[in-house]
Amino acid sequence: MIVAERKPFEEIKALVKDFNRVLTVGCGTCVAVCLAGGEKEVGILNTELTIARKVDGNPIELGGVTVERQCDMEFLDELDGMIDQYDALISLACGAGIQFLAERFPDKPVLPGVNTTFIGANRDVGWYEEKCRACGNCCLGLTGGICPVTMCAKSLFNGPCGGTNHESCEISPDQPCAWHMIYERLSKQNRLDSIIEIFPPNDWLNTTPRTIVQPAYKERKAAR
Amino acid sequence: MSEMILSDMEEIKINTDVLVVGGGYTGLKAAKGISDSGYSVVLIESDTIIGGEKNPLSFIGIDVTAQDELKRLVDDVAADDAVNVLMNTRLVSAAGVPGDFTIRLATSDGDLEKKIGAIVVATNFSNKPLSGAYGLSLSDSVLTLSQLEYLLSGSDRDRLSNKTIAFMVGFAQEGDALVMERILSNVLAVESIGGCTTYVFAGNLKVASDGLERAYLESRDKGATYFKLKTMPTISPDGESISFIDPVLRKKMELSPDVIVIEEEILADEMNPLLAAILRIDVGPGGFLQTDNIHRFPVQSNREGIFVIGGTRDVQNIPTALMDVENAVLEINHLLKDGKIVVPKNKAVLDIGKCTFCITCYRLCPHGAIYWDNTNKPVISPVACQGCGICASDCPMDAIQIGNYSDAEIMDKIKSNGSAAPDDLRIVAFCCQNSAYEAGLMADAFQMETPANLQVIKVPCAGKVDLDYIMKAFVEGADGVLVMACHPGNCKSEKGNTYAEWRVVDAHRMLEETGLEKERLGFVTLASNMGIGFSSAVVDLENRLKALGTSPFNK
Ligand code: SF4
Ligand code: SF4
Ligand code: SF4
Ligand code: SF4
Repeated sequence: MIVAERKPFEEIKALVKDFNRVLTVGCGTCVAVCLAGGEKEVGILNTELTIARKVDGNPIELGGVTVERQCDMEFLDELDGMIDQYDALISLACGAGIQFLAERFPDKPVLPGVNTTFIGANRDVGWYEEKCRACGNCCLGLTGGICPVTMCAKSLFNGPCGGTNHESCEISPDQPCAWHMIYERLSKQNRLDSIIEIFPPNDWLNTTPRTIVQPAYKERKAAR
Repeated sequence: MSEMILSDMEEIKINTDVLVVGGGYTGLKAAKGISDSGYSVVLIESDTIIGGEKNPLSFIGIDVTAQDELKRLVDDVAADDAVNVLMNTRLVSAAGVPGDFTIRLATSDGDLEKKIGAIVVATNFSNKPLSGAYGLSLSDSVLTLSQLEYLLSGSDRDRLSNKTIAFMVGFAQEGDALVMERILSNVLAVESIGGCTTYVFAGNLKVASDGLERAYLESRDKGATYFKLKTMPTISPDGESISFIDPVLRKKMELSPDVIVIEEEILADEMNPLLAAILRIDVGPGGFLQTDNIHRFPVQSNREGIFVIGGTRDVQNIPTALMDVENAVLEINHLLKDGKIVVPKNKAVLDIGKCTFCITCYRLCPHGAIYWDNTNKPVISPVACQGCGICASDCPMDAIQIGNYSDAEIMDKIKSNGSAAPDDLRIVAFCCQNSAYEAGLMADAFQMETPANLQVIKVPCAGKVDLDYIMKAFVEGADGVLVMACHPGNCKSEKGNTYAEWRVVDAHRMLEETGLEKERLGFVTLASNMGIGFSSAVVDLENRLKALGTSPFNK
């Protein structure tokens, strides 16, 4: 899932400094699961802002609402009619959600309340690890299910580099070498052959915004 | 426990079969007791036999009555149709909640799935020889305590007659009363063999348990000689001579025993960590499956419906273990009844429509009361849930509400400002019902000093104090807020007080960010009988607030 972190309070406070009526919009999916932008975090951010602005002698009026997913336009419809009372919106969704919210309500300033950080997995309550950089050309089939684009400091598709230091990466003894882990995993599975295979260079599609249309819906898109 | 009204109750049907893990003395005894109460039992044992004949004396020692009882038990259990004994079988997984567990067993004929209502864990402890610590290797003349017990119970017991036997205890470990009890009963047994001379070399004599002092004196009367030494005596590597300074005569002595008997260390079953992980129960000190918790009855684990008895939970002797068995049988009767039980409807209610399946609640519930049903939705078991509210406080979607303590009810209390004079400093104190709330009642009853505008808000556990409650209290005009929890290690829900403290730390950070003085918020731990502690905590905060003045929300 997408993992985000709440922005530092000072930054959010600065973003809303010129507004007196603000609606905070949470997202009930990824950012709720990673405890950064669900209903609870909407409430807490609003309370924090209320206190801070009161202390500053410049009270602010805040509303809060959490939609199912900000990255689907249909779920944003429920905000119609609510928006008019506010000068600005804070979105606690990931960057995709924030942009969809801004696109849906182009007349209102939409401000980010979180930093969208990575695609990751959940180890324990509140603890997330980056797992994928969305490179667009997944090599996990050859690398024993360990992503070198994410885990290798140089994102090498065909590693390791000369800096591999026993089990560690040369950047730090605390950073495991991705290619060492890949070697270990493949060797346990008797699949070391696949480490020899050369994975072609990525054409780094992700330097321009990508669009995906799932095969079953290609016709549907063409018809629009 | 809580003040549920009866209309909030519902009757549910539960499974009444019981799983007993471990076919040793306590496991068998429990299986029989539970079956005698009318429940079906599945008894699993990883070994190929029950009754532990392979190593018969590790737990019951040379207690002849217990040995006979064990033999009888093995027969009784085998003859009991209501006890299904599965040997060579291990527990692989256990999902669900009391009254409705689904367990998976690995048997010699493959995996087996069963539905059961309750689980009793009856693993045994093991004895680790400490001969190495004495620089000795085991031989015909250097024995472990278990080996001696085996000898004493067998037919070649007379091999020991007319022998000089030296016991070593308390040099290789701190030891405890049970180690001492075993030593003493062996000393007495050896003395009953003709012509034996016994010496006991002891680093310490732990006799602080029922009857031990008496056994010690009796063994001395019968001729055993005790040397209490500060350091380990020097023993030749073959075990043939022991030299030491006699502390009474202050003189170097040398002794050549025929047999040296070495103490053993009592360790928790090595299966325990795995079982704890499968059953999601807490591991206590030494790998025993119970933590010190004053709110819990002896055989209870942190999960309702899972009981830990005998050597599973502690180093203990036979009488204590038998008491555990009785308690477990009682608890099981109390829990399973006739398969129909009445439970509160609204202890913790989960709104599936709001839930985003983040599994935070599942991970945090200290009582393992939340599980996933086959549609992959979280469900809170009304049987297992203790209503602590820990899940509710951390749910990112506010999807869980606790009966009598819903967010709306608590917010109403936070907002209501009683009838205090407008210029009194207003303090909101969130008080755990198990400790601080009681302490507050006591402070009131004895008319101890408390602030004029103190508003006590009772919570089922300090873990129910949501970060949002703390922050909202300030918005609603509290000049100061206190979170009052049980002392460390005393939380009925194990970690509620810890979570509450972490949240206060987090709220302090937030207050700093907002510019409101963080000194307005405090965290205190109390016991229920600490009326004075309660009074001084609230008065302290009031004094701090006097220096800070009223909150901006009250100006
Ligand atoms: S807006 Fe972002 S955080 Fe919300 S559901 Fe979509 S991807 Fe996830
Ligand atoms: S190779 Fe790594 S970064 Fe690329 S798609 Fe696979 S997991 Fe993601
Ligand atoms: S913590 Fe809340 S949102 Fe997460 S799974 Fe539990 S009920 Fe659902
Ligand atoms: S209220 Fe407590 S016991 Fe009940 S489900 Fe929530 S965390 Fe578990």
